[in-house]
Amino acid sequence: MGVRGRKGFEFEMAGKIKVLLSKLGLDVHNRGLITVANELRDAGMEVIYLGNSFPKEIINTAIQEDVDIVGISSLGGAHLTLGGELMEEAKREGLQQRMAFVIGGVFPPADAAKLQEIGFDKTFMPGATREEIVSSIHKIFSAKMDRSP
Amino acid sequence: MAEKMKTTKEILKGKSAGQKRTPLYHPVALEKLRQDFEGWRNAAVGAKDRNHWCVTPQTILGSDIPREMLYTPLSSPDVDYVQDLGHSGQEPFTRGIHANMYRGKEFTMRQLTGFGGPEETNQRIKFMIAHGGTGINVLFDLPTIQMYDSDDPISKGQVGMSGVAVDSVEDMDVLFKDIPLDKVSVSLVTHYPSNTAILFPMYLVLAERRGISFDKLRGSVQNDITLEEVVRSGPEYLPPKDCFRIQCDNIEFIRQNVPRWNFITLNGYNLREYGTSAVTEMAVALANAIATLEEMLRRGHEIDWVAERLAFFWSPASDFFEEVSRMRAMRRLWYKVMKYRFNAKSPRSMWMRCHAQTSGVSLRREEPLNNLTRAAYQALAAVLGGVQSLHVDSYDEAYSVPTEEAALQSLRTQQIIQAETGVTEVADPLGGSFYVEALTSEIEARILDEVEEIEKMGGYVATIEKGWLHKKIAEYFSNERKMIEKGAIKIVGYNIYKTHVELPPINVFQYPEGVEERQKERLRRLREKRDAEKVNSALLALEEACKQGKNVVPYTLQCARVGCSEGEIFKVFKRSFGLWKPPVFW
Repeated sequence: MGVRGRKGFEFEMAGKIKVLLSKLGLDVHNRGLITVANELRDAGMEVIYLGNSFPKEIINTAIQEDVDIVGISSLGGAHLTLGGELMEEAKREGLQQRMAFVIGGVFPPADAAKLQEIGFDKTFMPGATREEIVSSIHKIFSAKMDRSP
Repeated sequence: MAEKMKTTKEILKGKSAGQKRTPLYHPVALEKLRQDFEGWRNAAVGAKDRNHWCVTPQTILGSDIPREMLYTPLSSPDVDYVQDLGHSGQEPFTRGIHANMYRGKEFTMRQLTGFGGPEETNQRIKFMIAHGGTGINVLFDLPTIQMYDSDDPISKGQVGMSGVAVDSVEDMDVLFKDIPLDKVSVSLVTHYPSNTAILFPMYLVLAERRGISFDKLRGSVQNDITLEEVVRSGPEYLPPKDCFRIQCDNIEFIRQNVPRWNFITLNGYNLREYGTSAVTEMAVALANAIATLEEMLRRGHEIDWVAERLAFFWSPASDFFEEVSRMRAMRRLWYKVMKYRFNAKSPRSMWMRCHAQTSGVSLRREEPLNNLTRAAYQALAAVLGGVQSLHVDSYDEAYSVPTEEAALQSLRTQQIIQAETGVTEVADPLGGSFYVEALTSEIEARILDEVEEIEKMGGYVATIEKGWLHKKIAEYFSNERKMIEKGAIKIVGYNIYKTHVELPPINVFQYPEGVEERQKERLRRLREKRDAEKVNSALLALEEACKQGKNVVPYTLQCARVGCSEGEIFKVFKRSFGLWKPPVFW
């Protein structure tokens, strides 16, 4: 189970931040995602590594596993096409309140703003450090928790 | 029987034990030098340097080979010039595979091209050739690489990205419009054995349609199990044994039918980029070559028949002298393996011919123009190392597919080395350097040690099945990440010498519009006009061949002829062999 520290409850269950990691579509490169998976696990998070997956499957798994964060890795150029579809699906399922969506990989810097416009909470550029990734996820998670009903 | 169980290292050791050596240096001179050197170390070298005499450079994709502060003849005291080096074009080929090296044949300037649909990539191919490129090098998009058609739901939103979309012979025709296949050398980066067996036949059918006989075709395919089973992330994999079988089927068929085609470019590059040292990169490629040659012998072929056309594909990275030295090490080692382990008779079988692509993972997003400098040094190392063909990664590597100007800049890097530096006038110019010769020998020994490790585990395919190689890679890149974080590996503009001014942004490649729709339409028309019955029987015949252990390529060729699409052929492979799940180490 993911971390559930919701305001309004009598007690807060301390636990791990639960992260679902996925390669977006048919992208072949997973060195970065495996690196992130290890770093998040070493930072005390619960990690589910989905491998290559597509918008509907990613969302279904996210719901099924009741994750806190969905992390997408895309080096293949499909970050706006498939990434857009993913966020559409997330909106359709009403997930944006309770889950955070982050994306990293290789894409033009100008697309980072577009990705945030379509709903990603954070984008990571090539060279993002362990510290940056882990602390960003903690921050985003806290922000979501504060906004959750 | 006992002979069969010996490792390559043991065999080579046995063969060299009996050889008489004639050391170059006079023992009296060496002794005098030894004393002189000790004197110098005590007098002119400070204590700090004496105590840290050996230092290992820390670079991306780096080495763990320590380097002395100064190299002298004492670093290789019993070098035998004729036996250890030879002249260029002479056994053991340490100094190059041809006597005249680049005076006789320049390295091929083979820049990758691939994005959008075949129409767009055709334009870029022409652009590169118009600007002096001497080889064609085609990279396919992710759906094509992973063997799905452009109209497969799995390909949605990804058609034409990171490479060119090719679904059928029709696409090959557009891709090579106005390009005389009998006059150019074409590298098709087909990555895997499976898609080599699918895409290369499409190229052959194109040649047929244009009335070009197969013996006129020159070029290469990748066709490497390492790519299909180790270094890629994908939704569906064939089992390693079946993938290896297809690798050998491709080799057999291409050798028999397309005599001037390089049927495998042993990896190499992609493995290293994923995360291995220069030594492991070469050990894996060599282990793959050994396993492949053994299979081809088992199939009844002569060693020279196969080996004459074997080629390699390396990733020159940033440790300059290691890159030069390892090309030489691999040339000498390959010679020894071919001569003493496989008893090859033809000199061509003993040549370590290779293509090199400068390391992409060493290029950065920050201050992208720095990448021009990085790639230039890596390219220079490759040329000083004696490679036959070269691609230089572009400065916008961390942004997208190269823009036209970035691709041109990479080509210019090659041309400047070739036309302005004068390095190509001399064969093996760094040969004889005390440092380079010592490092060459050290690397050769380490490669052989790692090959032995692989052989003791049951051979190359076994190390894939067991996940040994996947694990080794995961550990390597995890460690590299930590070294970068600590600042042990220095990266200019990233963890040292960071810029404090706003640099102008670079142009970033924009994908063309409408590619997916166009590909889908072309597929729709193809499926309409082709003979459905012929298609079905071709696919069925392929499935039979897969199951009966026949060489699959004549059957995939027939599939291509009657208009099967890539996805349709891959489905047959999946049905016939089933799927495999590789380990992921995290």
